[in-house]
Amino acid sequence: MVDMAAMGTTMKDMHQTDRNPTMTEPKISAKNVNVFYGETHAIKDVTVDIADKTVTAFIGPSGCGKSTFLRCLNRMNDTIDIARVQGTILLDGQDIYDPRIDPVQLRAQVGMVFQKPNPFPKSIYDNVAYGPRIHGMAANKAELDDIVESSLRRAALWNEVKDRLDAPGTGLSGGQQQRLCIARAIATSPEVLLMDEPCSALDPIATAQVEELIDELRANYSVVIVTHSMQQAARVSQKTAFFHLGQLVEFGDTGEIFTNPRDPRTESYITGRIG
Amino acid sequence: MTDLSAPSPNAPRRERGTAEIVAASLPRRRRKQRLLQAAGIAAIGTAFLVLFILIASLVSTGWQAFRQTHVTLQVYVDPAEIRAERLPRGGFDDVLTAALAELLPGVDLKDRKTRKKVEGILSNGAQFTLRDMVVADPGLIGQTVSLTVPVSDPYDQLAKGLIDRQTPEINRRLKDDEIAMFDQLVAAGVVSRPFNWGLFTNADSRFPELAGLKGALMGSFWALLTCFVIAFPLGIGAAIYLEEFAPRNRFSDFIEVNINNLAAVPSVVFGLLALAVFIGWFGLPRSAPFVGGMTLALMTMPTIIIATRAALKAVPPSIREAALGIGASRQQVVFHHVLPLAMPGILTGTIIGLAQALGETAPLLLIGMNAFITSAPASPFDSATALPTQIFIWADSPERGFVSRTSAAILVLLGFLVVMNAIAIYLRQRFERKW
Repeated sequence: MVDMAAMGTTMKDMHQTDRNPTMTEPKISAKNVNVFYGETHAIKDVTVDIADKTVTAFIGPSGCGKSTFLRCLNRMNDTIDIARVQGTILLDGQDIYDPRIDPVQLRAQVGMVFQKPNPFPKSIYDNVAYGPRIHGMAANKAELDDIVESSLRRAALWNEVKDRLDAPGTGLSGGQQQRLCIARAIATSPEVLLMDEPCSALDPIATAQVEELIDELRANYSVVIVTHSMQQAARVSQKTAFFHLGQLVEFGDTGEIFTNPRDPRTESYITGRIG
Repeated sequence: MTDLSAPSPNAPRRERGTAEIVAASLPRRRRKQRLLQAAGIAAIGTAFLVLFILIASLVSTGWQAFRQTHVTLQVYVDPAEIRAERLPRGGFDDVLTAALAELLPGVDLKDRKTRKKVEGILSNGAQFTLRDMVVADPGLIGQTVSLTVPVSDPYDQLAKGLIDRQTPEINRRLKDDEIAMFDQLVAAGVVSRPFNWGLFTNADSRFPELAGLKGALMGSFWALLTCFVIAFPLGIGAAIYLEEFAPRNRFSDFIEVNINNLAAVPSVVFGLLALAVFIGWFGLPRSAPFVGGMTLALMTMPTIIIATRAALKAVPPSIREAALGIGASRQQVVFHHVLPLAMPGILTGTIIGLAQALGETAPLLLIGMNAFITSAPASPFDSATALPTQIFIWADSPERGFVSRTSAAILVLLGFLVVMNAIAIYLRQRFERKW
């Protein structure tokens, strides 16, 4: 199922053998995706399949297009006037760029956590409850309370904030804020969780907590994480995609990419010679 | 350090080290900095001095208007002059003159000239005060009532020391015998100078001692209310559309440039527009605060649009992304997150816009809000003046009493402006968000 269009057939055959046999249907399937920012060709012909209940890491040097590609997956690039997306991206077989698809619905299914923790300047409770509220997911206050509690529990934040749910979310520490943002993203029960360098603004302890959390989230979600840190990709992901200059250079099992990269550019990057 | 490090062959040889070079330039830099600071302090000092002179001159001429000379009379409501069946007509002025004459021994009311002078002591409004009292309670006829009424403007000036007794009689507004009469009243202890509530409770009048700001205050209130009701929603709506929804293209650029231009259009032009469109075409009443408010709204709207757009722009994009990422629609992003966060900035801009509108004179002159109107407007459609136009009218009036009233009116206007700006600053500080 891993589509390595850029590679020869032999490689592809070889790669098929180490496929996880349980992953028959890709959660997200991107084919020949091109993104333009005005005249700039930011993403060049990327084809990739992202599996369900797996952590997929996008790595690559700064400006390689990994964040741009991530933002295609929930159509966040729509908000940028000059951005143009070509190609097809299927979520469960449905083209997400189909004119009949409302990005509002898509983004409820594909949650996102941003680089910088960005809680709303509202209470912790309201931060988590915002998604369920606007989508009408809770019939009453008790149900909403349940959603908030379970989301905060899954984000490993409940014990720290349960006594001060009315306190402003912006008053938490950086790591807590980021976990609050994760709780907020999973409160709408998305199917895919996109994380754009979620730990870049965090200290090592908070990073460890978030990474642990990502590992737990894998049980329920398809997680796609963009990261600068190769160590982080190695720690949390099962699949890794290496982007360079807007191209998907290599995609495969994380272990394989880090120990036995097939492309010389990948090797250069993970050994620290480029990037 | 240059001694220690071997000079690299391609680096120019330096006689002096970095520290010495920098040290040599330091006095010059420090001097420039001191000069700049001194210039800044001088500029601020000048600004404050000018402000102080302005306020001081206003207060020194205006404070007198906050007190008004009154005389307290024991008035015998003579049934011969005032009859219940003829109310509200009656010889109220005669009754007052008689009461005044009681306090002035040696004054012969039979003499027409003297009588005229005695009558001239009291304000023209005094008889109406008495009339209203008697009409309200006809039982007063035949009784003696104690009545405190304002004196006319020249005597008010005299009491406040604004008429120089040393001036030759021929050049003086009050002749020697008139001053003597007033001195008699003062000696009798019936002259008082209480706070001039009339300044706020009376509408305009030909007589300075009766003229007040109520009409102008109400006129300004209705005009500002109209201005706010029109400009606030329209301005915010336009700003939200332009900032959050409008596509960026030549057309929206064109609109943006024109809104900025609109903010710089001289206000008198808006007045001409209002005269032609609101009064000429739509046939709305002249001098009405409603029309004034609509005119001011034309001027205030660009200010509100620009302030709102700036406030919306200042909301960090991360908040928008967060909301969009959860699946909020653009409308929800704006109304749930961006607008509440921008509100302090919007309100600040609006209040400053309204404060500008409050002080605006030229457009109101053109739509006739400088008319002489002796009653306060009960609705935005009644004729009225506004504070700045009232100042304009009073400044134009020849009576001496209006000089201090003009200053007093300016002080009142400045007071409102200060209060409005203080509210704007308070809102900005109180609701400023830290991200």
